Amino acid sequence: MLALAIGSAMAALMAIAAALATRRRAVAVEARLATASRDLEAIQQAFSRFAPAAVVEDIVTQGFSTQSEKKEVTILFADVKGFTPLAERLDPAVLVRVLNGYFAGMSRAIERHSGHVSKFIGDGILAVFGALESNPWQANDAVHAALAMRSALADYNASLRAQELPALAIGIGIHRGTVVAGVIGSADLVEYGLIGAAVNTTARVEKLTRTHDVDILVTAAVQEVLDRRFQLRAMAAATLRGISEPVQTYAVDGFEAATPRPP
Amino acid sequence: MTSPAPSRADDSRPVDWGVWGECLVPVGTAQADLKAELRRHIGATPSWVGRISACPWLGFTCADFMSNATLHVDAQLWQLIGLVVSRDNSCRYCYGIQRATLKIFGHPEEYLARLERDFQSVALSPQARAALTFARKISRADPRPSADDFAGLARVGFSRTDVAEIAFTAASSVFMNRIATILALPLEPLEAFTESWFFRLIRPLMVLQSKTVMRLQGAPRLAAPPPAPPGAPGTAVLAALAESPAAAVLRRGLDRAWSSDLLPRRTKALMAAVIAKALGCTNGEAEARTLLGAEGLTSVDVDEILANLGSAKLDARDARLVPFARDTVRYQAPAIQLRAREATVGLSPGEILEAVGVAALMNAVSRLSVLLEAC
Repeated sequence: MLALAIGSAMAALMAIAAALATRRRAVAVEARLATASRDLEAIQQAFSRFAPAAVVEDIVTQGFSTQSEKKEVTILFADVKGFTPLAERLDPAVLVRVLNGYFAGMSRAIERHSGHVSKFIGDGILAVFGALESNPWQANDAVHAALAMRSALADYNASLRAQELPALAIGIGIHRGTVVAGVIGSADLVEYGLIGAAVNTTARVEKLTRTHDVDILVTAAVQEVLDRRFQLRAMAAATLRGISEPVQTYAVDGFEAATPRPP
Repeated sequence: MTSPAPSRADDSRPVDWGVWGECLVPVGTAQADLKAELRRHIGATPSWVGRISACPWLGFTCADFMSNATLHVDAQLWQLIGLVVSRDNSCRYCYGIQRATLKIFGHPEEYLARLERDFQSVALSPQARAALTFARKISRADPRPSADDFAGLARVGFSRTDVAEIAFTAASSVFMNRIATILALPLEPLEAFTESWFFRLIRPLMVLQSKTVMRLQGAPRLAAPPPAPPGAPGTAVLAALAESPAAAVLRRGLDRAWSSDLLPRRTKALMAAVIAKALGCTNGEAEARTLLGAEGLTSVDVDEILANLGSAKLDARDARLVPFARDTVRYQAPAIQLRAREATVGLSPGEILEAVGVAALMNAVSRLSVLLEAC
């Protein structure tokens, strides 16, 4: 009887110990899952600034997204003028610091006007308006962003000069057109990207800022829908690589809230 | 439309919401009738009631929207929709309240955390899952819910009125999220309280109190909305909600907003037009254009204002409130609070509250207009 009682007690104790161990393992697994979930959410929040919410959810839930669509967007491309000689002159650490400060200021200006920075390409910035969310005012937003970038750069240059560093000059090209937007890349590297002639045209319009010696150029596709309070100057039509007809562009001098330009 | 009981699990860390700014309006003296109305609706007086005293209609409309005015959306689903939409809109205030309410009614922390992160992975009935997915689409409105979305709801057993009420529940959250976020209403201590040991002790009493309040309110009753005053928007959307008591709630909110003279009707109609255009709500934009025509604006003037979110013909206040209305459609919390501060410089507390209230209301109405398109 005593042996039976001791045996039963020991069996009970062993069962309790096993249950406690199982519970400890379950708690540890749940803690790891909670940590992984929080990390995933942080990635999701970060990625949602570069892709539409539906695309982000696809990637989170199934690891990929096949969503792609044709949409009309307004594209802004900005580039630092004379960057190559600048890069050769400056110490690498200083160059990176200057560039990052520039990127931060320009990104703020773009995002403040409902744009999204799609990518940094060397010293270039590719921004898009109307890609992540529908935006009936994308053309106006893009040009307001460009003016804000001009103003932000002036402030940044003042701080660079105070540090005895060379000031930066930029060219900005803005164009509006239809692109295919979707998740593109390989298994190892993907991005939410834009494909279409409009992207190339924008980059080439930016290059024209050097030809016309201005800092902001917009194409006719932008000009025709733009708020008449933007002060524009027509530039001579120029030939762009890959486009048979000369392209008409307009320099943006400013925005006069009280006085619209003539129709 | 009910959800199965959640499983028990451990606590998890709350989400990082970033900085919640200072409230946009000062504290005033809260009206006794408003306090009584809030207590009748939700059983308590929120801490912000004094801050919206300068715009009485807003307080009464918030009271209406903070309780369940539907016939077919049960209390749990109503709270779950509020939680999901509030999180989607990054509304720290509403999210905290909804979370605390769900905890009072017995949902453990881990269930709520999983629900917030991805409600697709949580044990929900097909109907609840479909309702939450639809509610989030109503809130995001990009793209707007389509005929396929409505067909999906019908497949899991929702009637047309059920769908309208789910949409209204989401739109109620859209409204309250904007009021709380744009004004930066001070956070309630309720959520922190639900983390305390004392809460665990008195939770049964709180549940009893909440159920008593709901029992005293009674079920929402379907009543014909009062006749619309001339010139108030939302007629078509109200007709789409006609089989629900929610129609009367929305009617009262719109009528109060349009009858108030803190801001001119022209300003309110301009904001409504901009929000409708931003959300692709053709019905709402057409209604607002009609209202603007009655206020003396030509169609050419309205075309210019809507195309450019501005015009040399706008006065200084409208020149700021028109683009601000667009900013209220989709936003990040810190940025919209900063924008609100910039846009309302020089306005009285009453004007600020009315501007935010109208923006919030028209965001709800323009999202509800999907009921006209596909339902």
